[in-house]
Amino acid sequence: MSKTKNLERRDFLKLGAGSLAAGALSAGCATMASSPETKMPPAGAAPPPKPVPAAEPAPVAKTVGPPRRTLGRTGIEVPIVSMGVMNADNPNLVRAALDGGIFLLDTAHGYQDGRNEEMLGTVLKDRKRDSFVLATKVHLSTLDRKTGLFSKQTRGEEIGEKLDISLKRLGLDHVDILHLHNQSARESVLYPPVLRALEKAKRDGKARFLGLSTHKNEPEVIRAAVEAKLYDVVLTSYNFRQDHHPEVQKAIAEAAQAGLGIIAMKTQAGVYWDKEKESPINMKAALKWALRDPNVHTAIPGFTTLDQLQTDLEVLRDPTLTDDDKRSLEAPKVVGFFCQGCDQCLDPCLEKLPIPDLMRSFMYAHAYRNREAAQALLLELGLPESPCDDCDECPVRCAKGFDVRQRVRDIVRLREVPREFLV
Amino acid sequence: MSRGLLAVQGGLLAVVALSATASSKPGAESKPAGLPDASSPFPKLEGWKISDGPTTYTPATLFEYIDGGAESFLQFDLQDLTSATYAKVGAGNDKSRRPSRAPRDSATRLAAAAAAAEITVDLYHHKDAIRAFGIYTQERPAGTTPLPIGIEGYAGQDYLEFVVGSYYVKLVQSGGKGPSMLRWFADKVAAGLPGTREAPAVLKCFPDRGKRVRAEKLTARDFLGHPFLHDAVAVPYEVGGASFRLFVVEGKDSAEIRAMVKRYRAVGKASDAGADSAGLQGTATVKDPLNGEVVLQWKGRWLWGAVDQPCAARQALVDELGRGLSVLDK
Repeated sequence: MSKTKNLERRDFLKLGAGSLAAGALSAGCATMASSPETKMPPAGAAPPPKPVPAAEPAPVAKTVGPPRRTLGRTGIEVPIVSMGVMNADNPNLVRAALDGGIFLLDTAHGYQDGRNEEMLGTVLKDRKRDSFVLATKVHLSTLDRKTGLFSKQTRGEEIGEKLDISLKRLGLDHVDILHLHNQSARESVLYPPVLRALEKAKRDGKARFLGLSTHKNEPEVIRAAVEAKLYDVVLTSYNFRQDHHPEVQKAIAEAAQAGLGIIAMKTQAGVYWDKEKESPINMKAALKWALRDPNVHTAIPGFTTLDQLQTDLEVLRDPTLTDDDKRSLEAPKVVGFFCQGCDQCLDPCLEKLPIPDLMRSFMYAHAYRNREAAQALLLELGLPESPCDDCDECPVRCAKGFDVRQRVRDIVRLREVPREFLV
Repeated sequence: MSRGLLAVQGGLLAVVALSATASSKPGAESKPAGLPDASSPFPKLEGWKISDGPTTYTPATLFEYIDGGAESFLQFDLQDLTSATYAKVGAGNDKSRRPSRAPRDSATRLAAAAAAAEITVDLYHHKDAIRAFGIYTQERPAGTTPLPIGIEGYAGQDYLEFVVGSYYVKLVQSGGKGPSMLRWFADKVAAGLPGTREAPAVLKCFPDRGKRVRAEKLTARDFLGHPFLHDAVAVPYEVGGASFRLFVVEGKDSAEIRAMVKRYRAVGKASDAGADSAGLQGTATVKDPLNGEVVLQWKGRWLWGAVDQPCAARQALVDELGRGLSVLDK
């Protein structure tokens, strides 16, 4: 078992920033000079984004430890990797992330119908208020998601009402960033009743900074956010698989130049290359790809496991996009491992082998790297001694395109491996 | 996941029926016409007409409808979401006024009250019934009063949510006549949906003493923050001032359960309290760096145990849970 798998809580503390200077989280305390300890990712093979002279220059904060960048005019120095909490239902995972040096947590009023904010509340009640940065999002029920426009019945007050509910769930008296959720049209970003409501939330002290999130028409939305002169932060989809990522990159640069903080989301680009979820994307490389843009101040990958957290902390420590990373982001041509169990293979097979089970064993061994489970399954199947040896040509044509004969011959050899070698 | 956990299922509603008239709007997908209206989950209702939809969203387009919340539905293998809005005939409803989804807080209700009388029905179609019930348990707030619709449901003044077969159904009302209208609607919709009306059988194995009622959560993957633990049910308990969860993980077979145990042992320090020579059954305690001391027991395709605050009563309840599972296997 690798050291990664044996990760202890103390290892997170070593990896991450660990204890945080409370003052570093306060607005306006960013230090403008970069330090030798701060390591920024170099540009990759793809055209590197041109760093834009920020309204307040040098988005690199003076810190010891993992790289931080200043979140635009908020002045908050954030580690370049933050946490998208949306899928996490385990408070212990959030605690581990905080202990590891991640301190910007992103949730939303609507995630898990509010249960996500409640879960975060159980964690945050034990933490000092200045030890984390909490961002949440509110959506308006009168937003037409097809057009991205607000209806005439839109009440800006809905923002304040939902924010109050969110604050109660979170056990906080204010959030650090309040995002207007899921914007896709300039007109809505600039909609006066909404702007007034957001402004009121800030004036009332319930939100320190204002932002918006966008998954669609990002360039238009980001530019509208700049135009509004109200938003402090933009949370945008940004990944290497977006056909229009050069345009998003350009809009991000403009917004950063105008002093907005930029947070990237959906950096993992769907997690899998294929819809069958058989071919995973290199998460580490995908995250690094977004962070190589110096105008992205932090990213909020979602994670639900200790291993994924470990991976993100490794990127936090060293976001350098290597040549291997770049190669891994080129789309693969694979048929994958998952047998869909259509059973079309059963009749043609002259030996009447349990091919779907054999393919499952193959998947255990090669995709899950769990050879013990693969062998245990093989031994339950009652296979002939030398499957496939009696056929000159395999009559099976797999619907998924597996080379069945090759896979069967490969996997049955595992029967002979002593258990103690199955590590 | 569903093999043993569910007493009944199958629930393969003809997806074509779901969207016999599905629109081809941006972000949505059309499907070929299939079953007649009589078997559509969007029934014809006297005095009402479908004013918008049905519109079907795929996993790739779901976020356009429910933002980042889509991710948690995808974790539970959402196949598609079909949405339709009913309007009172002659009420002069304008589709631009309708709520875009079915959130249920007071702020949304206030907004909804400002709009016209409409009911939006969202059908979240998952891979199987256990996953539909799973996402339902993840979203269900504490302290709800259950409604006997499908497997289970609950309601507020302007919303009603329930699960039946592989469908998680959300209804939200704007400007209507209160809960009774929603309930009438929900019953009509539920009647057109196939699949089980029974909760997963494994829930009956959890001991009653100290159990928090209707607080169970089903997790499809990454249970306790570990990728090798999937298809788990966890139920919170409070006994003698201690709070902890009992859990059950169902494997595909005993080989998979043994592999899970092996991998869990490698996560933290483990002490075995006993296992047979073949590893088919046993008990162990793992010091999990994320979750503290976790008690494990396993036999056949079941792995069960306890997590969170240790206490004297916890082990007895774990043993009782194991006896319940053995009954389930008979």
